[in-house]
Amino acid sequence: MKRRDFLKNASLASLSLPFVSNGFSMQAISKELFEFSKNAEDRVLVLIRMNGGNDGLNMVFPIDQYANLMVQRPNILIPQNQLLGLTNEVALHPEMTGMQNMFNNGKLSIIQNVGYPEANRSHFRSMDIWSTGSMDINQTSGWLGRYFDSTYPNFPEDYPNLNFPDPFAISMGSEVSTTCQGLMGNFSHAVNDPFNTSNLLLTGVVNDGTYYGSHIEYISTLINQTNEYGTQISASANAGNSLSTMYDPLNSLAVQLKYIAQMISGGLKTKVYILNVGGFDTHDSQVDQNNVSEGSHALLLKMISDAVAAFQNDLQLLGLEERVAGMTFSEFGRQIASNGSYGTDHGDAAPIMLFGSCVNTGIIGPNPTIDNQINEQAGVPMQIDFRNVYASILRDWFEAPETSIQSLFEQSITYLDVLSGCSVGIAEEEALKFKAIAFPNPTPSNTTLRFIAKGEKYQVFVMNQEGKALALAFEGELPAGQHEIPMETSKLPAGNYYFLISSNNVRELVAFQKI
Amino acid sequence: MQTYTGPWTKAEAAHLLRRTTFGATNQQILDAVSNGMNATVASILQIPITDEPLAFDAGELIVPQGSSWVNAVYPANQAQNQQTENARFKSLGGWVAKNLNQEQLCIAEKMVFFWQNHFGVTATAESRAMYHFLNLLRQNALGNFKQLMKDVTIDPAMLLFLNGATNNVFSPNENYARELLELFSIGKGNQIAAGDYSTYTETDVAAGAKILTGYTVTGIRSATATQATASFNPILHDNSSKTLSYHFNGQVIPAAGANEYANFIDVIFNQNQVATYICSKIYRYFVNYDITPAVQSDVIAALAQTFIANNYEVLPVMQQLLTSDHFYDMSVRGAIIRNPLEMIMGAMNPTQTIPNFGLVGDYQTYISVYYVADTMGQSYIVPPSVAGWMSYYQAPAYSKLWINSTYIKKRFDIVSALVYSGIPIGTNVLKMNHLGFLNGLSNPSSAPQVIDDICDVFFPKAIDPADKLTLKLILTNGLPDFEWTIQYNDYLNDPTNTTYFTPVTQRMQALMNVILKMPQFQTI
Repeated sequence: MKRRDFLKNASLASLSLPFVSNGFSMQAISKELFEFSKNAEDRVLVLIRMNGGNDGLNMVFPIDQYANLMVQRPNILIPQNQLLGLTNEVALHPEMTGMQNMFNNGKLSIIQNVGYPEANRSHFRSMDIWSTGSMDINQTSGWLGRYFDSTYPNFPEDYPNLNFPDPFAISMGSEVSTTCQGLMGNFSHAVNDPFNTSNLLLTGVVNDGTYYGSHIEYISTLINQTNEYGTQISASANAGNSLSTMYDPLNSLAVQLKYIAQMISGGLKTKVYILNVGGFDTHDSQVDQNNVSEGSHALLLKMISDAVAAFQNDLQLLGLEERVAGMTFSEFGRQIASNGSYGTDHGDAAPIMLFGSCVNTGIIGPNPTIDNQINEQAGVPMQIDFRNVYASILRDWFEAPETSIQSLFEQSITYLDVLSGCSVGIAEEEALKFKAIAFPNPTPSNTTLRFIAKGEKYQVFVMNQEGKALALAFEGELPAGQHEIPMETSKLPAGNYYFLISSNNVRELVAFQKI
Repeated sequence: MQTYTGPWTKAEAAHLLRRTTFGATNQQILDAVSNGMNATVASILQIPITDEPLAFDAGELIVPQGSSWVNAVYPANQAQNQQTENARFKSLGGWVAKNLNQEQLCIAEKMVFFWQNHFGVTATAESRAMYHFLNLLRQNALGNFKQLMKDVTIDPAMLLFLNGATNNVFSPNENYARELLELFSIGKGNQIAAGDYSTYTETDVAAGAKILTGYTVTGIRSATATQATASFNPILHDNSSKTLSYHFNGQVIPAAGANEYANFIDVIFNQNQVATYICSKIYRYFVNYDITPAVQSDVIAALAQTFIANNYEVLPVMQQLLTSDHFYDMSVRGAIIRNPLEMIMGAMNPTQTIPNFGLVGDYQTYISVYYVADTMGQSYIVPPSVAGWMSYYQAPAYSKLWINSTYIKKRFDIVSALVYSGIPIGTNVLKMNHLGFLNGLSNPSSAPQVIDDICDVFFPKAIDPADKLTLKLILTNGLPDFEWTIQYNDYLNDPTNTTYFTPVTQRMQALMNVILKMPQFQTI
């Protein structure tokens, strides 16, 4: 079990009761305990939705299948020598130089053939499936919404509040994100421009000088003032910074990612940002018929690649790289065979991309196998269920307990290592612990505390169930190795107690029972 | 004031219906376009009869569930009496909301609320009396105002509300006489001398109080009487002659017993200022809060002239106003901020969002809706004061007073609830009728046409093309228009298939959640 989970689970709510004993504030302890596991607390997830159905085969090319791709999509296939190689088997679209660099620097990974069983080729239904993280038609909450619901109950009624003044998620644009729909409210807050957080207004609201115009202006201003989240957001954006020179001001995704960098660096505690790029529904003119390396899809991929590379560069300069990770997704891939209009029709699975300095580098999953003859309407078969990717992100990035994660999804989860690059791994974390036990336990008289020391100064407190420290039972430096320290517990009344072992780096609780 | 002869398009028809109803559907707007202005105004200017409020709450101890209580006695036991009154109040509040939600497409509900605001009568802890008062307003809503003024004067609810019932020769009470002059009929002007308000003086208030003496109300929450009843008791009436001020030419009102109040009202109504005052209030309520000198001299004066020429019949005034050039002027479109019930019904009625949970469920829903409006500052049967709601008289903010930082959040919360999960009421959930609304639009499979229709229904003026595009992209989820067409047609071909209706519903939810939170929607 991870430390954070341990702290959450082991009925330690009682530990947070405020009181001071021997100058020893319990609330301070428990706070420190939580903060110690702050790995995940300030992590940010950025989701880029490629809306319309992204043609994965024109983004991530299975080089070993190139000859068959030429059979399937001769009118749109980019010449092999123009592709940007990542590995011997995989190459990127020529416009994605930014992301090629990221891959080479270990900041991009690709998960192949992601989808779900029995693909639905309706944009709307399939996007719902991807947004809810469920194939149940009656599921109305989003996958992140359910996660937030389990973490922050009583939303939206109790929020924002002193402890959580910032929106949990921000959806760039005018619409909240279905991924964040919770039971009673949507956890995402729509933001067009963090420097002008009249988020409920669309673009063209101006006072035209009439009575109507004055009303519109009045209400707009009021919404602004009323919007507590808006105040937090603009304050963060103004306090924040952006250092990269790579952002293209004409690249709308880059502009939004720059806003996000500013909000994060300005201290906004928002955990999820969702961006939306439309135009992937490339039924025709996906490529320029005179130059298949260009065209509408190439422009979209260039926009995403350039913008994400600039964002990553900015995060690096801001020293935020280890706090931010991102993922692209789309409602489906497109058919393997192209159509006569230099485009492709709705298909099935497609690759998704993960970015950030904490990604598990490389390419997850094999290339799709492309047939040497055209099967009408065939899509790329799914190999990795997208819900396993979601669950793995929640585990690796937000360090949510696996049992809680499983409860968010309808099917049994199989985890992938996707974002564990910066996590204190389970084994590593376990190694930090004292592996303490008390024996005998329960005990009618005295007991012995056994734990592994790392050669530091240690304190051991005896605490009751209410979290009150009853006595300092041991204090002193111990050489590295296993120690057994007898504990005077015979005078304690019968009941449940803890030993709190504390060193400079680690605190650990051991429960014992006096009978 | 000229008759309007300009173009008659959806914009004008929708403007007319926004101002005279609590919310028209797209089809009703289209019908109004094809019927033309005159026929539409004629059809709007009527007051249909409504059913009486029915008992639904278990607290009602006299009549069975589903029966009318408006002419029923109360329990004798005091606690049971109060319990029954509480149940009747809920029924009355629910009935008010039901009337608004299920209105026929006519001016009745807007007109009744105009008078309710005008007289500012608070429920008198006698729901029967309150019902009959509201019914009086309804029956005379487009009728003769002079007669309405007389009827209201000796109505039990009003007699209880402004102490008319305790105004007698031994201890005159000026409360009603003062409001009759100041707020109900001639209106108060600037104070030009001590006790002189340009249109009347304190002398007239004192005289009026004497004139009105002698009425009492019996049967309040009675276990034997089926009505609270007003009656005239000659012993309590001041039989002296009352002399009015120079504003009424020093006229003497001779003792006339039970009819003296009517003679007094006739004298007041001989002053043209009555028409000017009432027409100003009509203008503020139906057109715009700002009465400029030009509006005063052109519009109000013309309406007042019509009012006088027709011996205070309301209908010709409304007819003239709603067919006037000024009413359709671009400068007054969207000049009013919706009151809370206009906002709630403005979301429910055009989308045909109507509860269908049976008698008890419907009434529970409607009383909940009533209380939602209450928390936003509009408790229909409990006006904040005898002057009505400040939004209709308080310069300079007027209807802006309906919205402040608290109220705007409540407005958005109710939209979120209605649009997405629905408003839970007991075991029922009131949800917006997204698909019914969508299917009733002129061409639901066309994304641009859906947006055009929705803007016509909910916004008083054309919105910026960039905003329209944003709204369309919300509907289509950012996809090309034809994808929406495919999706909608899939649903249409197999309407009970969740795979098809769920995505369409979700797009409509996302769209309506934005539409109904746009500042433009808050105006009519």
